[in-house]
Parts: sequence; structure tokens; C-alpha cells
Amino acid sequence: MSNVIECKNLTHYYGKKLVYENLNLSVKEGSILGLLGKNGAGKTTTINILHGFLQPREGECLIYGENTQHLSPITKSRIGFLIEGHVQYAFMDIHQIEKFYSGFYPKWNNKPYWELMSKLKVTPKQKISTMSCGQKSQVALGLILAQEPDLLILDDFSMGLDPGYRRLFIDYLRTYAKAENKTIFATSHIVQDMERLIDDVLIMDYNRVLAQSSINEFMTTFKQFNFKLGKTDIDLSKEDFVSNLEKSEDEIELFTYESESYVKNFLKNKNIPYTNFSEIKMGLEDAFIGLTGKY
Amino acid sequence: MFKSVVYKEWIKTKWFLIILTFIGLLAVGNIFLKVQHNIAFNDANKYWYLILFQNHHYFKSLKFVPLFIGLLIALVQYVPEIMDKRIKLTFHLPINENKILMMMLGYGFITLLASYALMFFAFVGLSNQVLPTEIVQATISSITPWFLAGFAAYFLVALVVLEAIWKYRIAYFVAASAFMLFYFESSIPGGYNLINLKLILLTIAISISLSFSAYRFRKGEM
Repeated sequence: MSNVIECKNLTHYYGKKLVYENLNLSVKEGSILGLLGKNGAGKTTTINILHGFLQPREGECLIYGENTQHLSPITKSRIGFLIEGHVQYAFMDIHQIEKFYSGFYPKWNNKPYWELMSKLKVTPKQKISTMSCGQKSQVALGLILAQEPDLLILDDFSMGLDPGYRRLFIDYLRTYAKAENKTIFATSHIVQDMERLIDDVLIMDYNRVLAQSSINEFMTTFKQFNFKLGKTDIDLSKEDFVSNLEKSEDEIELFTYESESYVKNFLKNKNIPYTNFSEIKMGLEDAFIGLTGKY
Repeated sequence: MFKSVVYKEWIKTKWFLIILTFIGLLAVGNIFLKVQHNIAFNDANKYWYLILFQNHHYFKSLKFVPLFIGLLIALVQYVPEIMDKRIKLTFHLPINENKILMMMLGYGFITLLASYALMFFAFVGLSNQVLPTEIVQATISSITPWFLAGFAAYFLVALVVLEAIWKYRIAYFVAASAFMLFYFESSIPGGYNLINLKLILLTIAISISLSFSAYRFRKGEM
């Protein structure tokens, strides 16, 4: 499968503040990649570079082989773009906005748009500005689906949505993407939403990529072990196999890609006494916090 | 695509455009009510003498009307684009970014032109009915810079609004305000006879300044 998105050696600064250095990422055709990271880790920066709204200090991003700084209109027509907060032309109503966009996209198919609109309790002449966040999200999603893009870039798609609309949005999107072999690049602050949607995950921290793999691989290889240390003065956080460690007196939460036997052998070989050793089953949100830390 | 751009801009501006044009026509009508009043109740020759030799500017209430219309139309057209950084939606449309900006600017220019043309021809038509040709021609030369100021204000407000960084926005605003004084140097009939063509060229030159803000936006200066 070819890569729809390919970013090579991206380096960017805001003033003197490094956002990231030599970031490489790729998204395969037909896959759904979730970009996770704390606030300020560089998610929106990456989205802006992908859209050509920001020129990286070094490196480049390619979408369908074209540099994102100079995307041709044909390539742009293949990309559906959801702005953070489901921003749309709020001074229009649902008929006006559909009419406006239909003039730009040769493959425009308004069926999914009107299907979604029929579920909204809005009046035909109601301006988008007067709609709830959930209703706006459905308008934005409907417009993207009508565009029939090959690639969807969704920036913080769950922002401002209540649980019902988030579920509706995600389920509709995943079903659509899998049925039509669409590629999705998404970011969201609500990590558990990603678990239902994505195939691959990319986790960023300040200045670096912490993980990039399929969601299944990440969730099976990344583990949390809890145990009680016999001594309180032992520091395991610097060990190579430890991805992150949360310590509260003698209670340890250790996050690692190594197996239970590896960790136990390590403790045994170093003569570190421990009790109550157990592996904790994690969801994506737990794993994300485990990898990036609570602070 | 062009039709879609026009459609969007029309939705944003239609009521303002209609109402502002109506206000402009009312201003023109008001001027000639006064002129007719003066001619009817005073001697016409004496009134013409006042206009020709005593610098009586019967049309001076029109001075800032085109400026006001150009300024408001630019605000109505471009402020919604920068709210929530909605301009990103516009730049993501499958069309060259400069081309779509020029289409938006072209829409604004043509609608302003239509609005000003109505006012201008109403003014000239009414002038020809009550004033001699010499006075009308000198007056046209005087009011032309005010209409050009309306176009210049439209272009410069677009530049200021689309600029994403406040310190640049303020700098542009100060520079633009100083620049606008060129158009209001003199109200004397015929005072702008020699430089109206230069003002036209200057106004055309600043029309492309908008693409500079767009370029800076795309470089990430936002």
C-alpha cells in the first residue's frame, strides 16, 4: 500500500522554542491514523504544515506526492479538511453552504450530507452560527462526506461535542472510511474516542515522537505493571526499558514495552525486593498517560 | 467556482450593499433638495456665483459617503473570514489561493463600482438639470477622488483585516489612514483636475496589497 501522507525530517520552531526536530511520519492509503499528544506537543503545528498554512523550518510533507506548501487544486479537492471546533461559514444556512461547496468539487454527492441533515432538528433557514456544537459538527462532517475526498484531515474533531454526538460522529466516520477505503489523519483531545476510530497511532511529546505503530501492536506491546518496592530509595526511572514510571512512596506504576518476565528478572537480578506485582489492563487513554506522563 | 465565490460574498454583503447604496442615494437626493431650494428661493445666478467664486461646496456632504461605504463593505466581507480563522476554509478550496482572494476582491470592487455608479450618475444627472455644464464638470473632478477613496478604503481595510498579527495590523492601519488623506486634500471644484489619473493608478496599485497578507498567512505568520 502506498503512503498518502509522508513527512520527512520535519523541524519547526516558534521563535526559539523547538516544537520538534527531524519528525518523520507516514500514513498508508486506506488507514486511519490518530495523532495524540498533550497540549503544545505539536499536533496543530503538524496539521497546519499538512495544509500548507505553515512552512516548516526544515523538512517537508508530501500528500499524494505533492509538497503541502504547493498543493495543486486537484490534490486539494481530494482532501477533506475539518478545522478544530468544526468551523464553517457560520453566516450561511444548511442549504446555502451545500450550494456553495458543490460548485467546487466535481465529485460532489449531496446524499450523505442531506442524510445527516435530516437527523438534525434545525429549520431550513437557520444560520449555522445559531446551531449547537453537535449540530455544527454534523454539518461539517456532512460537507466533507459530500466532497467525496480520498483523504480526511480532522483537527480535534471531538472538541465541544457531547458524548452522543461524539459516538455518532466516530461511528459514522469509521463505517464510511472502511466502506469507501478512505484515509484519515485525525487528532483529538479525547483519547478514548480515538480507540474506536483509528488503526494506527502516533504519540507525540514535546520535541519528539514517543510511539508510532498500529493501535493493536501498541496496545499489546505497551504494558503497565504495578508493584510495591521493598525499599523506597530505589530509582528505576532511568532504566532503558522503562518508558515511564509513576511513584507514590513505595507504590510503583511502571510502563514499558518489555514483558512481565523481563521486568521480574530485572528486579531479581538487581536484588530489588518487590511485592504485589500485577499487570494492569489499559485502555488507550491509560496507555497514552502512561507513555507521556501525567504532567 | 466563480459563481460559488460570488454567491458566498453576496450572502455576506447583500443587505449592507443595498442599504448603504440607498443611504448614498439619499445623500445625493438631499444635496439637490438643498440646491433646488437655494435656486428657487434665491437668484440662480447669485447661487452659481457663490459656487464658482466663493467656494460654496454644495456637494460637500457627499465627501465621506463613498469612504464609509467602501470601509463597511470591506469589514462585512472580510471580518467573517478571519473569525475562527475561517480563511483556512477558503484557502483549502480547490483553487489557487491568490486567485480566490482576487475573486473576492473583484466581487467587492464590482459591487462597489455598481453602488458608486448609481450614486455618481444620480449626482451628475441631477446636477445637469439644475447647474451649468462648467460647474458640473468641475464638481465631477472634485468628487472623483472621494469615490476613489471608497475603493482605496475597501482595499486597505481588506489588507488590515486579513493581516493576522496585531502589531502589523496596527502599523498597516496607521499607514493606510495617512495614505487616505491624499484623497481629501481639496474640495475646491477642479482642485483634483491634474492628479485624478494618478490617483486612479495609485488606487489600482494598492488593490493587490491584499495578496501580501495572504502570502504571510500561508507562510505561517498567524
